[in-house]
Amino acid sequence: MSRLQADHLYKVFGRRTDEAVRRLADGADRDELRAEGTTAAVVDAGFVVEPGQIFVVMGLSGSGKSTLLRMLNGLLEPTAGRVLFDGRDLTALSPRELRAVRATKISMVFQHFALFPHRNVLENAAYGLEVQGVPRAERETRAAEALELCGLAGWEKSWPDELSGGMQQRVGLARALATDADLLLMDESFSALDPLIRRDMQDQLLVLQQRLKKTIVFITHDLNEAMRLGDRIAVMRDGRIVQLGTAEDILVRPADDYVASFIQDVDRSRVLTAAAVMTDGAVPADCPEGCACRAVGPDTLVADLCAVAALAPHPVTVQDSDGSVLGVVPTERLLAVMGGLASEEVTARA
Amino acid sequence: MPRLPLGEWTDSSVDWLQAHLSWFFDAVSTGVTGLYDGIDAVLSAPQPLIFAGILAVVAWWLRGLAAGVLAFAGFALVDSVQLWDEAMATLSLVLVATLVTLVIAVPLGIWAARSQTVSAVLRPVLDFMQTMPAMVYLIPGIIFFGVGVVPGIIATIVFALPPGVRMTELGIRQVDGELVEAAEAFGTTPRDTLLRVQLPLALPTIMAGVNQVIMLGLSMVVIAGMVGGGGLGGAVYRAIGNVDIGLGFEAGVSIVVLAMYLDRMTGALGRQVSPLGRRAAAKARAALSAKRPGAKLWAHRPQPVTALVGVVVLALVAGGTGFLGRAGGATSTTASGPNSGHGKKISIGYIPWDEGIASTYLWKELLERRGYEVDTKQLEAGALYTGLAGGQLDFQTDAWLPVTHAQYWEKYRNKLEDLGSWYGPTSLELAVPSYVKGVDSLADLKGKAGQFKGRIVGIEPSAGMMGILKDKVLKEYGLEGEYEVVDGSTPGMLAELKRAYERKEPVVVTLWSPHWAYSAHDLKKLTDPKGTWGKGDGVHTLARKGFAADNPEVGAWLKNFELTEKQLTDLEAVIQETGKGKEQEAVRVWLDRNPGLAEKLAPQ
Repeated sequence: MSRLQADHLYKVFGRRTDEAVRRLADGADRDELRAEGTTAAVVDAGFVVEPGQIFVVMGLSGSGKSTLLRMLNGLLEPTAGRVLFDGRDLTALSPRELRAVRATKISMVFQHFALFPHRNVLENAAYGLEVQGVPRAERETRAAEALELCGLAGWEKSWPDELSGGMQQRVGLARALATDADLLLMDESFSALDPLIRRDMQDQLLVLQQRLKKTIVFITHDLNEAMRLGDRIAVMRDGRIVQLGTAEDILVRPADDYVASFIQDVDRSRVLTAAAVMTDGAVPADCPEGCACRAVGPDTLVADLCAVAALAPHPVTVQDSDGSVLGVVPTERLLAVMGGLASEEVTARA
Repeated sequence: MPRLPLGEWTDSSVDWLQAHLSWFFDAVSTGVTGLYDGIDAVLSAPQPLIFAGILAVVAWWLRGLAAGVLAFAGFALVDSVQLWDEAMATLSLVLVATLVTLVIAVPLGIWAARSQTVSAVLRPVLDFMQTMPAMVYLIPGIIFFGVGVVPGIIATIVFALPPGVRMTELGIRQVDGELVEAAEAFGTTPRDTLLRVQLPLALPTIMAGVNQVIMLGLSMVVIAGMVGGGGLGGAVYRAIGNVDIGLGFEAGVSIVVLAMYLDRMTGALGRQVSPLGRRAAAKARAALSAKRPGAKLWAHRPQPVTALVGVVVLALVAGGTGFLGRAGGATSTTASGPNSGHGKKISIGYIPWDEGIASTYLWKELLERRGYEVDTKQLEAGALYTGLAGGQLDFQTDAWLPVTHAQYWEKYRNKLEDLGSWYGPTSLELAVPSYVKGVDSLADLKGKAGQFKGRIVGIEPSAGMMGILKDKVLKEYGLEGEYEVVDGSTPGMLAELKRAYERKEPVVVTLWSPHWAYSAHDLKKLTDPKGTWGKGDGVHTLARKGFAADNPEVGAWLKNFELTEKQLTDLEAVIQETGKGKEQEAVRVWLDRNPGLAEKLAPQ
């Protein structure tokens, strides 16, 4: 069973929202509604997130991604559609039941950290547990563990305003992890950080994720971040999800010009893998016995593949962990991919 | 444009409220009076200096040693100018008003912060409350609540409520929306969001609101003094009425001492109660002591426990001495002679005019000698008549009838009884200093406008004599157009007279007899050969309806009450010499000089 499923979600602000939803479903434009004073923030969003996945929602500001996120834990009530969490329809819950779900099952990390300035680091990390009514001693132990997990051991008695931005967001992450929620909602959580710190935090999140196997919905406006973190990515524009797929899907087969214009700046060599660029074929015939070449796995990034290809006098072999050959990557293909030519064109030329 | 009868509607709704909701106003009045009496009893129980010590320890704890020392010096000053009891009465008034205001304002502010509609509805109401001049609702306040501290407290609450509500609303709205969202995202209930996140973070702003409430309350004190609120406001009001600059300054400085103390303490308390404030204060202290180690001593603050022990010890000492003081004081008694009053309570109201003060304290002394328990209240004229008509006061001795107070008499005549005139006739006149030569009658003013800058210095435009002056006197003597009558106030007129008198400048003022100005300055009453001012008033004693029937003995005494001009001016002079706050002692001295008079005025 999927952990989280969004089913034809709509969020419309303004007057006569039901009618607006009907018209949007019939294909009406967001702009014509805005002229009448209704704002369609999210239009017909649907997706499925499996347990342990990082699902990234990518879009520019105003694309409706934050609104979408807030419908996933009921902070905003959808105008139409359903949110299924572990098979339970969140939109059908009473406010009290919804609060219970938020307290125990879904936690959230905010863009500007949202740490309580009148509580110290430990009290902040323990906040969710305090709401659940966990006794003081136990919640402090668990909060301290969460802080340690995020690399903040020894900072328990400090105050939020004494920490750097990156450390504050670690507290925000620890607060979200301390409740042992299954689903983590992260709203542009790293956007307010310096680039180097941001990269650090991304790495740390990936390391943590390998250990904890949470389900994460991550909002960002940075496609590089989306591609680094996301198992699956939804690209939003004007309230609609315009493309849904893996990083490679989006990079290799952008759904429309809008997405295509987005991916221009992406460092493809760090997103695309050998599996995505290889062509069919067996071990090259011109590989002599004792050749200096080396085979690579399908998950090898193109960036790393280049280094291998440079040393090989022939296409690089891609093989599975059990040694079976999956395909080969000729050097000209590597160059074409790096140059941004779509795979169809490359295939055509070849 | 048709005339909208807004005033009539107001009149009739006030009447309606008084008729149908008197039980409610009585309940409010009882509650507020009880609260005020309780707090006042506690505050005025200890010896002044010991209580000053307690306040100083609190200041020491909240702000440091320097603040403690200054607080003690300030309150010692209040005690030394003999305004301690007044200051404590004022402090009680402000505390009660603040307490009630906060009980109403904070929940309203929270409600307004949570609902756009409530906020929108409240805003004009708050504007109305804050800007409507207090005197406008003080008089209806007296009709509803009677004279005394209650209308003053109610007026203070009305005036001070808006900033309390606004600052609470602002404080809560200012809390970062992401923090509130974070609380909600972790499943916090709305109530807990308010208590754990919004209120703690809004606390500094709310405390700034509390501070505003207290400061506005203190600024209302003087106005409360005009409706019998007593305290420092009463002292200021009396000082204004008598152009007693010294008393005015002393009372004013005492208000300033109270205001500064309360301002600094609520500010410091605001930092103490909010966790953020505590942290900021600790940081600032650390920075200060690092920079200037010498400042440490003055910034030293005791542990709360030490401060508490200090306060308790001083309070115990205060309790002990208070007990001893009371035991010692009980042996002396003011009552002497036959006792026919049996402790019956009588309440006298007075306007702080000299003949009013003199006759009121004369009767206080006489009635106390006869065993009555007498309470005096100083009031503004409108408040005095309203209180008398409402039955909260028993009688007053300073009604100028039939001319000067005609408007009040017309309004309340069937709720009052006239016990007759005890002095008269009074007269209204224009007066000039005697050094102005060649001007002895009203007719002499003609053609001399240049000398007097074309001005006749008048008093309140609402006063009866101002109407007579403008409509009749000037016309009859052909002074219209030549002289301009300057509207102002009695204190303003007296101050102008004093200024001109000291510079020997020519000046013409509206004045009446009896008036202390005639003994203070050498003045000439301008004769009125045409009789335009009309016949003089008598100074009447007015009682509430039914007073003479309830107290036949006192009623008879008051009906027969009479003083000669010499007796009255003597009594006023003795009171002036003895000084403020000792009116009753002065009366005793005067009675001793006039043996047999007491028996004549209040025969057994």
